[in-house]
Amino acid sequence: MGSTTDEEFKEKLLWNVKREVKQIMEEAVTKKFVHEDSSHIISLCSTIEACLGHMLKRRAAGFLRSDKIAALFTKMGKVNSTVAEVCRKVQEQLQQQAEATRRTQTPPQEPLRRQGSSAGRAPQPLSAQAIKHIWVRTALFEKVLDKVIQYVVDNASKYYEKEALMHDSVCGPILAALLVGPCALEYTKLKTSDHFWTDPSANELVQRHRIHGAHRGQDPSPSRRPALGIRKRQSSGSMAEDRFAASAREYVESLHQNSRTHLLYGKNNVLVQPKKDMEVLRGYLSLHQAGENLTLKWTPNQLINGTLGDCHLENSIYWDYALTVPIRQIVCLHCHQRGVSVLSPADSGGTLVLVSQDGIQRPPLHFPQGGHLLAFLSCLETGLLPRGQLEPPLWSQRGKGKVFPKLRKRNSTARMVGEQEVGGEEEVAADYVFRIVYPGHRHESITINYHHTTGSRAPSLDDDEEEEDRLHAMISMICSRNLTDPSAMKDHGEMLEAQAFGGSPLSWQQGECTSHMSSCLSCSTGGSSASFELPPGCTCIHDRIPLKMLCQNMKRQIVSRAFYGWLAYCRHLSTVRTHLSALVNHNIVPPDKPCEASGGLTRDVWSKYQKDCKNYKELELLRLVYYGGVEHEIRKEVWPFLLGHYKFGMSKKDMTQIDEKITARYEQVMREWKACEVIVKQREKETQSAILAKLSSGSSIDSHVLRLIHRDSTLSNEVFMSVDDPDGGGQDTPGGGSDTPTLTTVVTPAALAPDERPLVEFDSPDSGLPSSRNYSVASGHSQILSSIEDSQSMEEEPGEEPGEEQGPRGIMGEHGRQDSLGEERLCGQLDRLATGSEGVPTSFSSYTIELLDTVALNLHRIDKDVQRCDRNYYYFTPANLEKLRNIMCSYVWEHLQVGYVQGMCDLLAPLMVILQDECLAYSCFTQLMKRMSHNFPSGGAMDTHFANMRSLIQILDSELFELMQQNGDYTHFYFCYRWFLLDFKRELLYEDVFAVWEVIWVAPQISSEHFVLFIALALVEVYREIIRDNNMDFTDIIKFFNEMAERHDVQRILQIARELVHKVQTLIENK
Amino acid sequence: MAGGTISECKEYLFKVLVIGELGVGKTSIIKRYVHQLFSQHYRATIGVDFALKVINWDSKTLVRLQLWDIAGQERFGNMTRVYYKEAVGAFVVFDVTRGSTFEAVSKWKHDLDSKVKLANGNPIPSVLLANKCDQKKEITNNSSLMDNFCKETGFLGWFETSAKENINVDEAARFLVENILLNDKGLPYEESNGDRVKLDRETVAAESKSGCC
Repeated sequence: MGSTTDEEFKEKLLWNVKREVKQIMEEAVTKKFVHEDSSHIISLCSTIEACLGHMLKRRAAGFLRSDKIAALFTKMGKVNSTVAEVCRKVQEQLQQQAEATRRTQTPPQEPLRRQGSSAGRAPQPLSAQAIKHIWVRTALFEKVLDKVIQYVVDNASKYYEKEALMHDSVCGPILAALLVGPCALEYTKLKTSDHFWTDPSANELVQRHRIHGAHRGQDPSPSRRPALGIRKRQSSGSMAEDRFAASAREYVESLHQNSRTHLLYGKNNVLVQPKKDMEVLRGYLSLHQAGENLTLKWTPNQLINGTLGDCHLENSIYWDYALTVPIRQIVCLHCHQRGVSVLSPADSGGTLVLVSQDGIQRPPLHFPQGGHLLAFLSCLETGLLPRGQLEPPLWSQRGKGKVFPKLRKRNSTARMVGEQEVGGEEEVAADYVFRIVYPGHRHESITINYHHTTGSRAPSLDDDEEEEDRLHAMISMICSRNLTDPSAMKDHGEMLEAQAFGGSPLSWQQGECTSHMSSCLSCSTGGSSASFELPPGCTCIHDRIPLKMLCQNMKRQIVSRAFYGWLAYCRHLSTVRTHLSALVNHNIVPPDKPCEASGGLTRDVWSKYQKDCKNYKELELLRLVYYGGVEHEIRKEVWPFLLGHYKFGMSKKDMTQIDEKITARYEQVMREWKACEVIVKQREKETQSAILAKLSSGSSIDSHVLRLIHRDSTLSNEVFMSVDDPDGGGQDTPGGGSDTPTLTTVVTPAALAPDERPLVEFDSPDSGLPSSRNYSVASGHSQILSSIEDSQSMEEEPGEEPGEEQGPRGIMGEHGRQDSLGEERLCGQLDRLATGSEGVPTSFSSYTIELLDTVALNLHRIDKDVQRCDRNYYYFTPANLEKLRNIMCSYVWEHLQVGYVQGMCDLLAPLMVILQDECLAYSCFTQLMKRMSHNFPSGGAMDTHFANMRSLIQILDSELFELMQQNGDYTHFYFCYRWFLLDFKRELLYEDVFAVWEVIWVAPQISSEHFVLFIALALVEVYREIIRDNNMDFTDIIKFFNEMAERHDVQRILQIARELVHKVQTLIENK
Repeated sequence: MAGGTISECKEYLFKVLVIGELGVGKTSIIKRYVHQLFSQHYRATIGVDFALKVINWDSKTLVRLQLWDIAGQERFGNMTRVYYKEAVGAFVVFDVTRGSTFEAVSKWKHDLDSKVKLANGNPIPSVLLANKCDQKKEITNNSSLMDNFCKETGFLGWFETSAKENINVDEAARFLVENILLNDKGLPYEESNGDRVKLDRETVAAESKSGCC
C-alpha cells in the first residue's frame, strides 16, 4: 500500500471524470443540448461521486450516515449559500416525487412516443438513476457543480483525509476546473425518453436493457427467497450496484399499469405476516401481466404511502418484506376460508398460500372480508388464459359470476375436509387447493407454442429438446390409441388410460418437487385417481366432487388438449420442413467429436496438416474453424484454402503452379484494363476541352452540353430503368455516341441494336446492362490491342510507379482535379500520353463507345470508393489503396456485365489486410465474389435472404415476428440488407470480421450453406428484448442496428448462430 | 425543473430524404449540417444511414429533422420506395464538378415524385443542392438557367453548397424546413399531420398506454 497506488487510484478517479466530461461535451456538440436523462450524465455523476467519496473523513459529523454525498451536501449547505440552494432544490424534487408517487390513480407514464406536443404534462418522475445521484445531478443542472466542487476543494481539510483526492493540491482544482464545461451546458428535459429519433441512442438502449434485464432476469429463475427481485439499496454508489438498479422508486412505479404490464387485480390492506415473530403488515396486493408472465406483488403500505422520509425510502427495511412472485413459479394455491356463512359464502375473509415449484410456501396473504379472495382467484384465472388455467376451474354461476367450485355442490355428497377443521367445522370452513397448470407447457407434455420458448431462450437448447422428446412420446401414444375421434372414448377403462397418460407429466413434475409438493398434487388429482390414499403429512384439503363429473371433465380436457397439441405440432413441423430444411445440412457435425473444436485451428494443427496434408481430413480442419476460428497468425496461409484458391491436400508443386497461373492472368488483365483506361481518360479530356471551347466561344451551358458531359462519363442510372423516361437508357446505348463528335469508332451492328429495344425492368435479375452488348468483340479487340501495345505498356509501367505519388500534383491545378487518388494517377498517365504517345489512334478504334462508357463509369465508381475505403484503419495507406484499386479494376474488367457495385470494396478490403499480396487477394476476391455477387442488385439473392429470414423468425421467434408485422410490416427485412450484402463487414470491427468470415466460409460444409441467415438471426435474438420492449418499427430497427455497428459481441453472436443452426437441424431431424 | 417552462412548446418531427448520385457528398452535407464536421473519408453509404438534427425553430417550436442518407447507388427500385415512405421533404444533391451527376438530378426527382407524395397529392417539397461549389470550375450552370430548371422539375429552389467549406448548408436546410412547416400549417390533412393533431388531443390517453422502459 505505497503512496504510488494511492496516486494511481486518484489518477484513475480523475481520468474517469475526464472521460465522462469529454463524452458529455461531445454529446452537447453533436446534439446541441444534453438531455437530463442522458446516460452520460448518470456516468458523470457517479464518477464525481466516486471522487467526492474518496477518503471522506468518517467522523466529519453525520458522515456515518449511509448516504455520504447527501451528508456532505447538507453539511456544506449550512455554511455555503450555493450549496444551500442545491439542498433546497433537492428537497423540493424529492417532495414532488413523493407526491407523484402518491397519485396512484394517474399512472405517471411517459407519453406516447413521437408525440407532437408536450403540452401540460406533469413533471416527469425521476428515474432511479436520477434519484441515486440527485445531489450531484441537481448541482450540475443548476450549473453550480464546479463552484460546489471548488468549495469542497478549498475547504477540503474540514471534510477529507490528507491523502484524499479532494485534498490534493493538484487533483482537486483540476476536478473543479474539469466541471466548468459541463456546468456551462444547457440541460433539457424537453425530450423525454420516448424519443427514439434522438435519445436514447442504441448504446443507451443496450445499457438500459442491461440494467433492467438484470432485474427482470431474476423473475423466471426459481429462488428460495420469498422476497424476490427486491434488493436493499445503498446510496453510496459503486458501479457494481448499478446492475441491480431496480430501485425503490422504480418498484413503486411498477405497480401501476403501463404499456407492457397490465394491472389485473389490485387490493389494498391485504395482510401479510412476513416473518413468524413479526406483526402483521397491511399492504397493497397487485397482479400484473406482462406478455405471458403474471407477477404477483405485495407491497407494504409503508412503502406505498411514502410515510417514510424520502431519504429513508430506499433503505427501508420494508423492502425486505415486499413480495414479488412470478406466477410461473407457483404450482399450487391453498385457500382457507373461515367463517363462511351459509347465506353468503363469498362474503368472508380468506387466506391464500402460494406454493412454488420448489415446495416453498410464501407467507400467507389474508384478504379482507367481502369476497376479495374469490375476486382475486377469478382475476388470476382469467390472467392465466390462454396458456394456463386453474385446476379445478372456478365455476361460473349465472348472475353471480365466478364461485368456488364446490360451493355449488354444497348439498351433494361433497364435504369440506380440512385437516385442522375435520370433524366439526364443515359448515363454516371451506378450504381449497388449486393447481396452476399450463397445458401448453412443462406441466403437460404438449408444446403447442414450442417456438415461443425456443426463440426467446435460444441458448437453452437442452430444455427444448427434452420437451420435444416428451412430445414425441406423447404423440406416438395418441396415435397408437387411435384418439382421432374423442367421442369414441366412452369406455371407462379407456378413459382411465387416458388419465394415466394425462397424469404422466405429473409424475415427471413430482420428480422435481419436494415431498410436500407432491402431496399437494396428489390432493388435487385425488378425486379421480384410483388409489386414493393421503400421503403422510399432507396439509391439503380434499374436495370430493362426484367422481363421474370430474372424470368427464378431465377426459374432455385431456383429449382436446392432446388433439390440439398434436395438430399444432404437426402444422408447425410441416412449416419447418417446408421452409427450413433447405437452409441447413441434415447431418450434424458435433463440436466435440473427435475432439473439442472450440480451440480453433491453431498453428500447431496447421503445421501438422502441412507436414502430412495427404492424410489430414479437410472436414476436420473445417470443423475446427467452424467452432473456434483460425489463429490470427496463420490466417494468411489458411484463407486461400478456405476461399478455394488452393484445394486442401494439394502438393507444394501444385500450389506454386496455381500461383503462377493466377499471377500470369492477373498481369494480363491489368494490362488490358490499363490500356483501356488510358483511352477513357484521353476521351474525357477531349470532351472537357470541347466544352471549354464551347463555353469560351460565348454560348452558355445548355442541356445539350450537359448531355454531352453525360455521354462521356459516369452516370449510374440503373435506378431509373423502370422510369418511363425517353432518356432513361441513353447512357447505356451506343446510339447516343453519335452525338459525340470526337470519336471515330468501330461500332458493331450488334451494339447498335439496343437503341430500339424496349427498356428492361430493372428488377429483373440480369437487367444491369443491355445483354446485346458485344463484349466478345470488344475484348477481342482489346486483346489484340494489348498485344500490340505490349511494348508500350511495358515502357509505361516502370515509369509510372515512382511518378504516381508526386507527379500528378503539378498537373492537378491545371486540370482542377483535387480529390481522386485514381484520377491524379490517371491524369499523370494521360499527360504523359498526350505529350508523347503514338498508339492512340489505334486504340481509339479498338473499343466500342459503349465499352468505353462502361469502363469510364466503373472506373469513376471504383475511384470514389477506393479513396474512402476504411481510411481510419491503419492498413489503408495510399500505397495499399492503389493495390486495392488495381485488384478492383481487374475484377470489374473481367465482370463488366455486372460492373462495380458499391460494397465490393468493403469485401475486398479485409482480404487485402490479411493476405497482403495483391495477386493472392485478387484470386481470393474472385473466389469470394462467386458467392457474394448474387447478393448484389443484379444477383437476386437478397430477396431470397429476406424471405428465408422471414421464415426463420416466423418459426423460431413468432412473438417478435408478430411485433414486426404490427409495426408497419417491416418483414421485408431491409435492416438486414447491409448485413447480407457485405457479410456483416460493416457491422463489425476488423478483427471480428475476420472471425465471422471464416465461419461463414466453412459453414456450408459443416452446418449450413446459409450461415449468414443464422448470424443475422442471432443478431436479432441478442437484441430481441430491446426491439420488443421499445416496440421498434422499421426506422427504429434500421437506426438501432446502424448505431450498434462495430459494438457487437461477436463470439457470443457466433455461438448463438451455431446453436440456432443446430436447433433447426434437430427440428428437421426429428420429423 | 424544466417541466413547467415548455408547456407551450410544439414539437415536430420531419423525415427528410437526402438523395443523389454516388459520391456527390450526401453524407458530407449531413455530417456538416448535424455534427459540424467534415472529412474526405466518409465511407460509402450502403443501404441507408440516419442523422438527426434538432432545431430550436423559434421560442415555441422545436423541429427535429430525421435525415435519411440514402446510398447513391441504390439500385433496388423497391428499396427506395420503402425508404421514401412518409418523407415530408427532400434534398437532391449533385456535384458541380461532375456534370453527369446533374443530369441524374431529374431522374432522382422523378423517382422521388413517383414514389412519395404529400397527403394532398402534391409532391413533397424538395430542394436542389449544387454541392462542392468550393471546387467550382467555369463550367457551372448560370443561375437563371438553374432557376428555370428548378421551376421545370419542381424544386422549391436550389443552393450552391459546400460541405467542406460549410457554405449554404444551414441556409438550404432552413429553406426546406420553412416550406415543410408551411405545408404543415396550410394543409391540415389527416395524413400529413393527423398524427400530431391527434396526439395533441390525446396526450392524456396516450400516457396511460405507453412508456418505453
